[in-house]
Amino acid sequence: MVEPLLRVRDLTKIYSGKGHHIVACEDVSFDVYPGEVLGIVGESGSGKSTVLQCLFQDVVPTSGAAYLTSFHEGERNMFEADRRERRELRTHRMSMVYQNPRQGLNLMVTAGGNVAERLLAADWRRVSDIRAKASDYLVRTEVPIERMDDFPAFFSGGMQQRVQIAKALANSPELVLLDELTTGLDVSVQAGVLDLVRDIQSRYGVTAIIVSHDLGVIRLLADRTLVMKDGHVVESGLTDQILEDPQHPYTQLLVNCVTN
Amino acid sequence: MVSATGVRALIDERGAEFEGYTFGFLDDMAKREIRRTILKAVAIPGHQVPFGSREMPIARGWGTGGLQITLACVGADDTIKVIDQGDDASVNAVNLRRLIAKTTGARETLTTGEATLIQSRHRIPEERMTAAQILILQVPIPEPLRHVERSVASARAMHAEADYARMWLALYEDVVRNGEVTAGAGYPVMVNGRFVMAPSPIPRWDIPKLNQADTLFLFGAGREKRIYAVPPFTNVQPLEFDDYPFEIEAFPNMSCRRCGATDSYLVTSPQADGGTLSVCSDTSYCDDVLAGRKVENQW
Ligand SMILES: Nc1ncnc2c1ncn2[C@@H]1O[C@H](COP(=O)(O)OP(=O)(O)OP(=O)(O)O)[C@@H](O)[C@H]1O
Ligand SMILES: [Mg+2]
Ligand SMILES: [Zn+2]
Repeated sequence: MVEPLLRVRDLTKIYSGKGHHIVACEDVSFDVYPGEVLGIVGESGSGKSTVLQCLFQDVVPTSGAAYLTSFHEGERNMFEADRRERRELRTHRMSMVYQNPRQGLNLMVTAGGNVAERLLAADWRRVSDIRAKASDYLVRTEVPIERMDDFPAFFSGGMQQRVQIAKALANSPELVLLDELTTGLDVSVQAGVLDLVRDIQSRYGVTAIIVSHDLGVIRLLADRTLVMKDGHVVESGLTDQILEDPQHPYTQLLVNCVTN
Repeated sequence: MVSATGVRALIDERGAEFEGYTFGFLDDMAKREIRRTILKAVAIPGHQVPFGSREMPIARGWGTGGLQITLACVGADDTIKVIDQGDDASVNAVNLRRLIAKTTGARETLTTGEATLIQSRHRIPEERMTAAQILILQVPIPEPLRHVERSVASARAMHAEADYARMWLALYEDVVRNGEVTAGAGYPVMVNGRFVMAPSPIPRWDIPKLNQADTLFLFGAGREKRIYAVPPFTNVQPLEFDDYPFEIEAFPNMSCRRCGATDSYLVTSPQADGGTLSVCSDTSYCDDVLAGRKVENQW
């Protein structure tokens, strides 16, 4: 039997405002198996990004646990990682592709440098090797190689997103988190980025969680899918099954919207 | 260090000069704190230790950090030398040396080999220093991560976690843009395999001297209130890529116009006749070579 790569248990994030609380997500539990793409779909504000942000340790969850097989043999809650371990998780074991490339890229650093940063963090110390690796990934993500030493500040949104993907894949993390990777891109560019991710996935078998409010994206990329509503998982299963035979009324609504 | 009774005797003896000042200008509490800070700094090579930098009778930015270390370490039986970019005769060096001597009774010297304490700005002497000597370097900017991380708190966290990826990234970008690591004065170094350190704005020429030296190096930043140290026999390595190794400045086919030395760091200045003049930056070394004295200059 295959062990899950990641187990998430009862993940809850509550934001406290003045005299009120916002439950961003509550008691979210799921497993991710090696080599699979897990989709998380749901309307705006349903808590999808919150789940990814907690896993990538951008925000501190209110309660819950997550176990990564490679982190203390999967026996220690990675939300209890100390600072050093947290950085290790973020630079070696996981990577995140943010909806806004400006969040995931350093625009004051060249495209190649952005990819190189993760390699440097992994103690690569030969410039020629670093450049070979970075250009390899930029080529794979269809960033023209002659742009490698240019600043991504001057790139189109689609190309920025591809640099971000190259960066996220560069030192072969165990788990890639992708948040709304095509939102904000032109429809024509969207298709290209989606093809790219699908191609990388089929060739290299990356394990990923992909978050989208767009069922079309999920259908294209995800093997299994969680449906979230108001911070809760209302349905989960194989993507095909969910699309063909949605059980929860909210999922039915979602699927009908897309198919009609 | 001189004993308390020794100080008393000294003050009695040279009462006129000490009038109104304690020995070494700083009060005892200040000296004690600085010494404690130095001990901490020595215990954690390359780690910047904060200290309560005192008001000094010179402006911040003119060597107050180095001066406070010197005054906290100096005893009446010490021989002090102060150099400014290799030069003992600059106004700033002369003033600092005079202040130290006047408030302690320590002997002054211009000769590297005679000094027990050397306070320096921007140079390490050419003559190999010994275990009996201490070099105190004045530091304008102690934080090597300053240009890659503006937040002081974040930079400290990066040191604490030995997270130097951003520093390496800056070096990578430098190589990509300029074909080499261009950092000249103050080339970043890794101390004891643990802390990235700003070696003060010494030329690359002096960087190898820090590695496995016999001498204790103390670094003082008055304005930034930091003291750090490289104890004797500590590994100090410049940050370098395997395929872009660190190199010191080269002076091909050049020699000192004054003493003829070909093995010292030269400074070149334009001349009225349109030509240039290159001489030793280290005036003590230049004098020694000129006088035919034998100098151990192999660091
Ligand atoms: N920093 C924050 N402070 C307060 N509330 C927050 C914060 N971040 C998120 N929230 C709230 O938590 C809930 C879930 O937000 P989240 O961003 O996870 O939703 P989402 O499913 O990713 O939505 P979208 O599709 O719009 O990106 C929302 O109600 C949101 O307003
Ligand atoms: Mg979101
Ligand atoms: Zn000379």
